Amino acid sequence: MKIGIISFAHMHAFSYARSIQQIDGVELAGIADDNASRGAKMADTFQTDYYRDVDSLLGTEIDAVIVTSENVHHVDHVIAAAQAGKHVLCEKPLATNIVDAKKMIALCKENGVILQTAFPVRFNTSIIRAKELVEAGKLGRILAMKGTNRGTNPGGWFIDPKKSGGGAVMDHTVHVVDVMRWLMKAEVNEVYAEVDQLISKEKIDDCGILTLEFTNGVFATLDCSWNRNKTYPTWGDVTLEIIGTDGTVSIDAFAQKVNVYSDDKGLAWDFWGDDMDFGLIQDFVTTVMNKQQPSITGEDGMRAVEVAIAAYESAFRKKPINIG
Amino acid sequence: MHHVLILGAGTMGKVHAAAYAEMDDVQVVGIVDSDYERAAKVASPLGAPVFASVDEALSTLDYLNIVDICLPTFMHKEMVFRFAEIGIDIICEKPIARTLEDARGIIDFCREKNVKLFVAHVVRFFPEYKLAKKRIEEGAIGKPAVARTFRGGIFPTGWNDWYADFNYSGGLILDMIIHDFDYLRWMFGEVERVYAKSLLGRNLLRLDYALVTLRFKSGVIAHVEGSWAHEGFTTRYEIAGQKGIIDYDSAQETPLVMKSKKDGKGTGGVAVPESPMKKNPYYLELEHFLSCIERDEEPKVTAEDAYKAVEIAVAALESTQFGKPVALNSEEVHPRV
Repeated sequence: MKIGIISFAHMHAFSYARSIQQIDGVELAGIADDNASRGAKMADTFQTDYYRDVDSLLGTEIDAVIVTSENVHHVDHVIAAAQAGKHVLCEKPLATNIVDAKKMIALCKENGVILQTAFPVRFNTSIIRAKELVEAGKLGRILAMKGTNRGTNPGGWFIDPKKSGGGAVMDHTVHVVDVMRWLMKAEVNEVYAEVDQLISKEKIDDCGILTLEFTNGVFATLDCSWNRNKTYPTWGDVTLEIIGTDGTVSIDAFAQKVNVYSDDKGLAWDFWGDDMDFGLIQDFVTTVMNKQQPSITGEDGMRAVEVAIAAYESAFRKKPINIG
Repeated sequence: MHHVLILGAGTMGKVHAAAYAEMDDVQVVGIVDSDYERAAKVASPLGAPVFASVDEALSTLDYLNIVDICLPTFMHKEMVFRFAEIGIDIICEKPIARTLEDARGIIDFCREKNVKLFVAHVVRFFPEYKLAKKRIEEGAIGKPAVARTFRGGIFPTGWNDWYADFNYSGGLILDMIIHDFDYLRWMFGEVERVYAKSLLGRNLLRLDYALVTLRFKSGVIAHVEGSWAHEGFTTRYEIAGQKGIIDYDSAQETPLVMKSKKDGKGTGGVAVPESPMKKNPYYLELEHFLSCIERDEEPKVTAEDAYKAVEIAVAALESTQFGKPVALNSEEVHPRV
């Protein structure tokens, strides 16, 4: 099986490429990137071919592509791949608006290609274990959840709304919203958010706290702030607290770490848990090989985007927004 | 010498009595509690008498200058009025009152009767909480942006299970995370609006959980989590600013852990953690209030601060009930929640 990567704009492309190379029978068959020096360098790093434009890559004998371009380009790249008959794994957020997301889903369906959204957190082993506990009824009925997906301001195109579609809320809402939906098999139907630019100098939202109501009556909050500073021991976090009638679960998805104290970097938390990006790629490869329904669909990607967009609207209008 | 009458021999009455016992210039003149056995346990090490009622205490005692009200919230107003009327200075447990109207009534009446009123928002006296405020003021993390707090554990058990009665206690939001509302307001100033969700009114037996978002006029966004759904008791905070982060987790604070082979019933020792201090925060708080009485000074936490904390809690309850953000404005009349 041959997979191409469209753009290394998003740094996740690096670990996806590495994951592809770890799977027997799967080949990283080419990289397309509008940034020639970045594309050529990555092609060299991963010993594959570089293509200047997306269509040249799509014209080759590849089975699937991973789209890791800037958020606003997902729509064009996914549609081009679909029209070329290539299956797609698209980086999150799936799109920066619902119209694009719907178009992407429709065109993938029309062209008979798989569209999977890249939500690697579903492949974090502690998250998977939590789902087992929930499904085994260990918590009784779920009543509330509290999540965080904090991070470091990534800079670059991420803080240019014309390319990213938004800041911290657009970047960090979708992972944990997806996990919450997945754990409960319920949809978000109301969003309230306090969003602001409180840390960086650039005009982009970098702090946000969302409050969500789900169709099953569960309420939740989610902190999506880019507020980990330079000397914080790691890039960020994914945490989830689940409150049930019979108990609670506290997940800290990257707590499997050792403390490294170096004179150069101060304290660093070095993660040794399972590689969730590898889990995601392995799952996508299996899905494509068996031509099955993806475990994380385009609709899943769109639902999460819908929450991020509602959060912006809520912050602007200072009131809860109904969705779904 | 201060002559202090303690009302209530529950959790807080016991803690306050123990603090007074360490002070040279305080004599506990009595403990009032309808449960004689419980009160006797608290009173006997102090050599203080137990009274079954306030009436009995007042008809027996020759002199007292301070009453320390460690009773359930809904009883505060009646007791404050009773003692303010006869010119006794008042230390009152938080929250100052069950409703904003009662809180205002208490403050006005004490002023009218010219008695001092201290409300025991003890978190301001916890060294780990004071330290964060100090460091932030010194600029250690730059301008604050997002704050998160946690306070909670198991559902509390009190006299007549009063915590479980919303009309008596105001639940988790008014009774417990009011600590964090006061603390955050102390650091970040006035609150602009509040949005909250909780399990209140869902008919869950002895279970509550609340997630409250506060937006401060200064721009800071704060997330306050309160739980009576967990086990044990833990407090945490994290404040992220433009140039740094400061955080604390009481579960990580383990200066001393004792493990006894005898308590383990053959399954390994039961660990008993302690965080010993020469003066605990309750001692520091009461010592400060007494010093304010002696020197006729304003306390670090005023009755007006206590009112403001109730105002935030009431706004959170209103938000929970009506599903909308609630703007804070003292002039506005809030529906009773």
